[in-house]
Amino acid sequence: MIAMQAVSKVFRTDLVETHALRDFDLEVAPGEFVAVSGPSGSGKTTFLNVAGLLEEFNGSYLLDGRDVGNLSDDERSRIRNEKIGFVFQGFNLIPDLSVYDNLDVPLWYRRIPAAERRRRIMTTLERVGLAARSKHVPAQLSGGQQQRAAIARALAGDPCVILADEPTGNLDSVMSGQVMDLFEEIHRAGATIVMVTHNQELVRRAQRHVQIADGRLIDVGPQQPMPFTGAAVQA
Amino acid sequence: MLWHDVRQAWWSFRRSPWLTVLIIGAMAAGIGTSLITLTLYHARAGNPIWWKSDRLFAVTLDNRLVDPQSDGNSRHPEYPPFMLTWRDAQAIYRSDIPVRSARMFASRRLIDPQRPGVPIFRAATRVTSADFFAMFDVPFLYGTGWPRTADEAPEPVVVISKAINDRVFGGVDSVGRSINVSGRPFRVVGVIDGWMPQPRFYDLSGAFDPSEGIFLPFGWTTAWELPAAGPIRCLSNDQVGSFKELLAAECVWLQVWAELASDEQRARYQQFLDNYVREQKEAGRFPRPLNNRLADVSTWLDMNDVVGDKSRILVAVALLFLAVCVLNTLGLMLARFLGAAPISGLRRALGATRRDIVRQHLTEVMLMGLIGGIAGLGLAKAGLWLLHVLLFLPMARQSINPQAQTIAHSMTHLDGQMVLAALAMSLIAGLAAGLYPAWRIGRLQPASFLKSQ
Repeated sequence: MIAMQAVSKVFRTDLVETHALRDFDLEVAPGEFVAVSGPSGSGKTTFLNVAGLLEEFNGSYLLDGRDVGNLSDDERSRIRNEKIGFVFQGFNLIPDLSVYDNLDVPLWYRRIPAAERRRRIMTTLERVGLAARSKHVPAQLSGGQQQRAAIARALAGDPCVILADEPTGNLDSVMSGQVMDLFEEIHRAGATIVMVTHNQELVRRAQRHVQIADGRLIDVGPQQPMPFTGAAVQA
Repeated sequence: MLWHDVRQAWWSFRRSPWLTVLIIGAMAAGIGTSLITLTLYHARAGNPIWWKSDRLFAVTLDNRLVDPQSDGNSRHPEYPPFMLTWRDAQAIYRSDIPVRSARMFASRRLIDPQRPGVPIFRAATRVTSADFFAMFDVPFLYGTGWPRTADEAPEPVVVISKAINDRVFGGVDSVGRSINVSGRPFRVVGVIDGWMPQPRFYDLSGAFDPSEGIFLPFGWTTAWELPAAGPIRCLSNDQVGSFKELLAAECVWLQVWAELASDEQRARYQQFLDNYVREQKEAGRFPRPLNNRLADVSTWLDMNDVVGDKSRILVAVALLFLAVCVLNTLGLMLARFLGAAPISGLRRALGATRRDIVRQHLTEVMLMGLIGGIAGLGLAKAGLWLLHVLLFLPMARQSINPQAQTIAHSMTHLDGQMVLAALAMSLIAGLAAGLYPAWRIGRLQPASFLKSQ
């Protein structure tokens, strides 16, 4: 699903060059649930931005079998829209829009007909248990509900891969458990998930764990997912 | 797509209502001020007979002395005098080249309504030729103009304005009835229906005066030795003590207009004028080089500087103020868009292209421009009403002509063209204020804002 080879990303200012990613290689198979961890500043978020085509990079990157290294800005937007679902630490819901309208944003940019958009949105909201809250704005929801709405937005577009950046970082342990349960359910249904976190308990629930240090990948390897205990989940 | 962008704009308005009000207010102030000055300018600069402007020509002949003191027009010494002498007007009028032509001048006549309770009054009068009415498309409420044969005789026929008809005949069809003009009965042959060209192009000595209430055949000039109410400018040192001396003197006081249907006809008429002046040169007149002009209505209005520098400066200052408002709006829009950049970044992450983001922001600013334009129209309407009440109406009330109040109204009236101008200004101002901020926001990398959203 994701195949990165020798990917690098350098941030340059007048005074300094920062190598956020160096010769970064990673393969994620379809249906895999991969946790990416590492200390602060190690390059986790940069990796996620590159994987999500939010930043340009050097090197080779195949997404769903397509080389996405030299695409135009419009093509990157289209691939983000069709193949990638984002879940962010801060939920990143648009505060003025209802839950329904938030889910509608990526579908509208794909120019899906209104009836089909409505069907997808309601199906997804039912899946994450928020159908009754479709008309609420984010401020009227709890943190866990907001994150479930954000996950629903990522799922509604039926993406190839879900990229999650510290998805429980702003949640308490109970809500974190609920969100992780949802991720596991989605994964069991066949979704490919790449989750950046430095919370070890969340890491243990993934199928595979990779670490990033100084912009380089250290593959820890496959692991047996552990059940969620609810302890020490705060990022 | 448009509806989607309009909804986004609505949400954005709700997100920062005060900033929205401030931006719309700035646009409205700029557009409103510009509209007020443009309306006043438009009233002065309009071509009141635009549909045949290029077929109507004011005739001018350069009979000035060589002496620079005789130039007359200090700003444009190259222009010939704007009026003609009696003998030139008479000679030129005899040409059969034009489709129509007319000699004319302004006068004043006493009207005795011969109705109880309606006093004798003095009416602005135009002494002219029969073609005047057809040439200038004068609309008639009743009857029509007089025939050419009535000009030279002259016949005691008269065309009156609707205002005079209302005053003397109580508004009924007065064609065939008699009206007392300076102690003599004249038969009414036509009643003009509210004709009031602004500016009064055919005689710009009073560019924004109302058109006259009484129109008499040109033959009455000599029959009555009619005095001109307009300016008389003598270009030589001739002593002018009597009407007969005026007719023979090198004094200009008559306007001559010709309707020419084609370029070929115009060329022939120009040739006719030049030949006439060459003949006169042999008789010792017209000492300067040939400088005979046929000015169509637009050119004529320009030559007479009807609009005036003050009006132009006022419009320029107002447009400058609009530009300042647009610049301020640009700054406010930039702040507004950058403030909402995280949401734009999120939209980009979710699949919006740069084009989507730019279009959405442009829709927002154009919508604000449009609302600002509508508010500006309201401001302009209020400002013009104040000008009308405080300035134009008191001036009109001092005038003896009942049409003066109508003119005062027309000077401060926002017509369809001005509404269209407001619409165009609001869209242009919106585009000018929003293009750069929208482009800027479209260029931002989505990743820069996702963490901060």
